[in-house]
Parts: sequence; structure tokens; C-alpha cells
Amino acid sequence: MKPELAQRIVDGLRDAGIGFVSYLPETRLSQILPLMREDPSFMVVPVANESEGVSIAAGASLGGRPAAVYMEGSGVYVSSYNLLVIGKRLGVPMLLIVAHYGSMMDKRNSFLYAFPGLHLPANLESLSIPYEVIEDDNRLEAKIKGAVQMMHAIKQPVALLFTGEFTV
Amino acid sequence: MNRYECFEFLAPLINDELVIGSLSGQRVEWGHLSRHEGNLLVACMGAALGIGIGLALVLPHRKVLVLESDGSMLLSLYNLPTLGSLNPPNLSVFVFDNEIYSGTRISEPTATAGKTDLAAIAQDCGIELATTVRDLDSFQREAKAAIEQNVLRFVVCKIDQTTEHRQIQRSNEDLSEHKYRFVRYLERTEGKRIFLGRG
Repeated sequence: MKPELAQRIVDGLRDAGIGFVSYLPETRLSQILPLMREDPSFMVVPVANESEGVSIAAGASLGGRPAAVYMEGSGVYVSSYNLLVIGKRLGVPMLLIVAHYGSMMDKRNSFLYAFPGLHLPANLESLSIPYEVIEDDNRLEAKIKGAVQMMHAIKQPVALLFTGEFTV
Repeated sequence: MNRYECFEFLAPLINDELVIGSLSGQRVEWGHLSRHEGNLLVACMGAALGIGIGLALVLPHRKVLVLESDGSMLLSLYNLPTLGSLNPPNLSVFVFDNEIYSGTRISEPTATAGKTDLAAIAQDCGIELATTVRDLDSFQREAKAAIEQNVLRFVVCKIDQTTEHRQIQRSNEDLSEHKYRFVRYLERTEGKRIFLGRG
């Protein structure tokens, strides 16, 4: 993605109050990582598995630092159990920043990505996790802010799925 | 070594420490022995240590104790490399290892009944102070040290296979109530709002 888009995502997260990000790196949105590491507003924590990303973010959130988990779409499958029992059942606010690989708007789509990508929205719906697909920069900051406001309101995970311009 | 006796020793040592627990009989026993508002017993396997890591990172001035089980730890071994890398000094992990998956009707061996050594795995993940204790005296030393010292500690506690927890009257506090009690306690003792948004 264009460097300015990465910067706008990071600025949007900071301005919405996110102060902790656990992550398992992937290709499409990875430009946000050095920007977040350089920004003292964020505590940025690498993990070995997206399930762990969810549980660590839950601890941070319950400790008073609004938290996000950055992952590839495949990570939603990997972390579904923790999203259900920690995110939903216990009820912990967290933002899922998801690279929506394998969507129809994924500019790098291929047989490798299409199946998990196509099933991703249904997976989130089965978990009753609210989500919004973001394809371009139109009202980007407002969408991030709205998602964070929603996660605090329902005290549960909320997901933003980035595709389209963000997958170049 | 008996888990309940370990908890009888540990519970009175807790002041403002945060105690994060997983599932199994230990949740019932700890919840019975300790009504500490800083308890967060998450009632699932494979997540307590991760939550403890997150809390320890964002509250570095606060001691966090995690009570895990062998089954839960085996389910989330991915926590150990992360824990070794992050090395939060205010976190102590106690894994109560009875070497079985113990449900209300089952008793099946875990890998720790065989060749798997959780403390050795932790050491190889860079957790320097990782050890196994097999008697109450050794547990008591580690428990006191966990309260008094500021260093990452990972203690595997080999315990007997017991079913005493099945005789304990369980609390009727549900998870939502439990979470709010924990969060309001943290808000009060940390002097900040945790759950945001307008009421």
C-alpha cells in the first residue's frame, strides 16, 4: 500500500485511543509495524500465534490499555476459540486489524488465498463479531474511530478487514 | 504434593497481586480459598498465561501470578517463546501438573506423564528461572520468592491426582460479574478508568 495509507492507519489507531498492539506479521499491511514501533503511543508486542495475540491483547485491555490485534485473515481461524471464550464470553474490548487476503478486492489474490479469504466474513459472523470491510481510504479515520467506539460500547472484539487499496 | 495445600499456603500471601487462573479443579479450589478481588479466573484452557502476560506488560509496577495446569499449558505452548522473549519481571507462572486430563468422568494422561518436561521447554525458550518442584517445602520457597522478587519465574508444580475439588460448593458468580469485579478493583487501585465509553 502507499506509505501515506500506512501512516493514516497508524494515526487513526492512535487518535482513536489504541495503545497496545499484539501482532503476527503478514505481508499486506506490514508497513504499519515500523510506524507503530516508532510511535511511543503504542506498546507493540510480537506473538507466535494469533490465539496468543488475542489473549495477550485481552490482558492489556483489562489492564487499562485499549488494545488491538493485527493479523492476517488466517489468524481469525487460528484464534477463533480465544475470540469466543475470551473476547465474547468473558467480554473484552479489542480491535482486530485484519489483512483480508483472498477477498475479491485482494490485489494479490490467488489459489493460495481465495478459500480462506472467501470464508472469513462467515467465520466472523459465526462468532457474532461485528466487522467492516475497508477497500479504500474513504473516511478511513472515521471507520477506525467508529470501530474502537463500538468495541468499548459492547466490550467485545470488533474487526476491520482491510483489502483493495491496502493490498497493493 | 497436594494442590489444595499449595493454595492454602499461597492464598494468604496475596495482597495487591493479580492472580490469573485457567480451568480445571484449580479454579474451583482457588476460588474457594481466595475471594481476592484481584483474581481473574478465566474458566478456559490455553488463555490464562496470555492474559497474564498482557496484564504484566501494561502494569509493570504490579505483580501478576498465573495459575496454569499441565493440560492448559500444553494447549498453549506458543506462549513460552513469547514469554521468554518479553521477559516481564513482574510475572510468575505456576503450572500445577497432575499429569492427567481430569474431567468429572475422565482421567487420561497428558504428555507430562511421559517424557515432556515443561520446565525444560521453558528454559529452552529463554526463561532462565524455570524449575520443577515436587514437595510442599519447595513450593513454599518458590511462592514466597514469587511475591518478594521481581524476576520472571516459571514453576512446574508436580501434584497428586486429586478429586477434592468435586466436593467443593462452587460459587454462583458468573463470568461477567467476575470480570467486572476484577476490573473495578483495578480501576480503584490503579486510579484510572479501564472500561471506556459513555454510560
